Amino acid sequence: MKQTMKGLLAGVALAVLATPALTTAAFARDITIDLAGEPSSLDPHMQWNPDSYYVYRNVFDNLVTRDNAGEIVPQVAIGWEQVSDTEMAFTIREGITFHDGEPLTAEDVVYSVKRITDPEFGSPQLGQFNQIVDATAEGNVVTLTTDGPYPALLAQLVKLSIVPQHVVEEVGAEAFNAAPVGSGPYAFEAWNRGVDVRLTRNDAYWGEAGPFEAAIFRAVPDAATRVADLQAGTADLVVSIDADAGAQLSGNPEVQLLSAPTERVGYVGLNLDKPPFNDLEMRKAASLAIDRQGITDGLLQAGEVPMSQMSSPAHFGYNPDLPLFEYNPEQAAEITVANPDLAGTPATLATAPVFDQRIVQAVQQMLNDVGFNVSISMTDMPTYLGIVRSEPAENSELSFGRWSCACQDADGIAYPTLHSDSSWSRVNVPELDTLLEEARVSLDPEVRQAAYNEVHQIVRDNYYLLPMYQAAVLYGATAELQFEPTANESMFLNRMSIAE
Amino acid sequence: MLRFLLHRGGQALIAAFGVVTLVFFIQRLTGDPTALLLPETATQADIEAMRATLGLDRPLGVQYLDFLRDMVTFDLGRSFVQNAPAWDIIASRIPQTLQLAAGALAVALLIGLPLGLLMALTRGRAVSRWIMGLVLACQSMPTFWSGIMMILVFGVWLRWLPSSGTGTLAHLVMPSIALGLLSLATYARITRSAVLDELGKDYVRSARARGVGIRRLVSRHLMRNSAIPVISITALEISQLLAGAVIVETVFAWPGLGLLTVQSIAARDFVVVQAVVLLGAFVTIFANLAADILYSVVDPRVRLEGK
Repeated sequence: MKQTMKGLLAGVALAVLATPALTTAAFARDITIDLAGEPSSLDPHMQWNPDSYYVYRNVFDNLVTRDNAGEIVPQVAIGWEQVSDTEMAFTIREGITFHDGEPLTAEDVVYSVKRITDPEFGSPQLGQFNQIVDATAEGNVVTLTTDGPYPALLAQLVKLSIVPQHVVEEVGAEAFNAAPVGSGPYAFEAWNRGVDVRLTRNDAYWGEAGPFEAAIFRAVPDAATRVADLQAGTADLVVSIDADAGAQLSGNPEVQLLSAPTERVGYVGLNLDKPPFNDLEMRKAASLAIDRQGITDGLLQAGEVPMSQMSSPAHFGYNPDLPLFEYNPEQAAEITVANPDLAGTPATLATAPVFDQRIVQAVQQMLNDVGFNVSISMTDMPTYLGIVRSEPAENSELSFGRWSCACQDADGIAYPTLHSDSSWSRVNVPELDTLLEEARVSLDPEVRQAAYNEVHQIVRDNYYLLPMYQAAVLYGATAELQFEPTANESMFLNRMSIAE
Repeated sequence: MLRFLLHRGGQALIAAFGVVTLVFFIQRLTGDPTALLLPETATQADIEAMRATLGLDRPLGVQYLDFLRDMVTFDLGRSFVQNAPAWDIIASRIPQTLQLAAGALAVALLIGLPLGLLMALTRGRAVSRWIMGLVLACQSMPTFWSGIMMILVFGVWLRWLPSSGTGTLAHLVMPSIALGLLSLATYARITRSAVLDELGKDYVRSARARGVGIRRLVSRHLMRNSAIPVISITALEISQLLAGAVIVETVFAWPGLGLLTVQSIAARDFVVVQAVVLLGAFVTIFANLAADILYSVVDPRVRLEGK
């Protein structure tokens, strides 16, 4: 028996000692970033969740990009021109080389467009690019043809990374995902699955390559641990922390909190075909009952901004002159008291665990306080999606949702939530459909803006759905890191710097 | 013996088949993953196209037969999210989880056994009560809390240990303690009662009467005779450690199977989740099979009863 115990202990000790030895010490000018999860993919034409694109947008150049102010500016394309209603010509920058030393050509751009729009390839981003029906190269000019006039084309192309045709065709999609080759300011070095992704600076980069020699993106799923890493000095930048963690950091002179409004808009969807919200007065009462400012300032506290339209200042098509919704629970109660039977109709508020339940519960409470009869129906995400996309008869009376198109154009947020064709929309108003279609195909920004202004006004006047707030993201960083978070939640290393 | 092996092997196969079937249908009950894999702006046509890519548009029976064929050929499928074979993804995480489990077991044994012994030898005294209080505290603290507290104290405040991650032996210390605390308490209590049992036996009294010192008594007699329940509990503790690893690995960003499970669920990577569940089930089934066979080697009576 003694032998057994000894053997057991020896085995345990061996296994413990087998842990890899100390890894190379970090250089002073490296940056370590704690993400919530590891990237799903480093192939920019596959998954596009934030944990993936935080990393790969540093490895690849995109056709165009947005500057920190949100304007679309040249990247691989140095200029573009609308040739006809359905054709746009891009002049490709010369002198860009991929990390393997090969030049980036117009053919690589054409290949990238064709790859991501090929239904066989099965990119989850297909829906953002499938309006492009053809891509051709002539010299250093690439012409993209769309299936109709498509004003949001440039906004979509902000997300189109250019991949090297020769590498992808030679190694195949799987190997390319495991060891991507791009032309961006940072080159891929290693992906330790489940642990981190390491990038090194591309000193041959055509633009500004950034202050860090290397970047390490780690997967740290627990927000409290990310905050602790920052406080302990083992991470320089951490993502996705909430206001509570933020409060923990405030007062610590070694770290700073950075907040940026995003292009996600939180809203309460209403079923316009079922009582009680088929009634305009009831919808008005519901809107009056919800204290949007209270939710953003009291609950969320990360820099969220109350909204009264299905777009945000980060979107083209936002109307800054549209007034906010009024919060007046007394008036709401007067409306419901006048028609207690209708207001008391049982209504379910559909939600899923991914949404902030504090908001959902606050909305339920605020509505019930003025005389509605709302209960929360929390289901798993697939069930929730099934409910909110179903026909009005099966649909819930209320739903909470957050919308982002990652395109910063009202077309990507107002059309799917308000046009009668969209499975997400429970609104069926011909006038709105006409305006949304007009804004979708017009190439004149003024015409589009005017159409969206009218859409926002109609939705607000009729309370077709209840926009709530523009969501914000909160980052924690060491005090000397200079980083300006943007609405599209990108993390460009070459736009950061270190204060001396 | 051969007949016994065939019998037990057959049982294990039936259990494995049951697990595979259960996993397949439960996963279908939780809904269509396609909508989750695509961006919010995806149209119905995009969803249909994705269903076709994943093979989810085929009849359920066909999918099930395909799934069974994959299982027979040990093909766990391909992660659509990570674009890699599920088995490769899992295999890369197994060493990390084994390391953590070994570390935790070391903590539990090296601290739990002496504590248990000390409690037994000092029974009725204040020391014993203090240690028992400590052991109870270890058992009551939820790991997600004790883990964070350790990070704050030793990682942020004292800066003795790295706050999270992997790479060095120092990284292993806090996760091992966090994971080992619960087992530590179990070991301490089991050891205490086993030693107390032995202390009451005649041979101990005779030994004391012969003038055998406490040190010799413990090392030559008590330790050895109390070891049996401790060893049998170890088999159970190992599976407990693997389950507890889900929380500890998440808190400490330790890249083992537990963290992989959490990440895969968050990323809706159902192929990997399914593979981890199957792996866990198979490990349990075959560990039991191995234990059965071992018993029969040690004790022939088991073999006869198992006909």
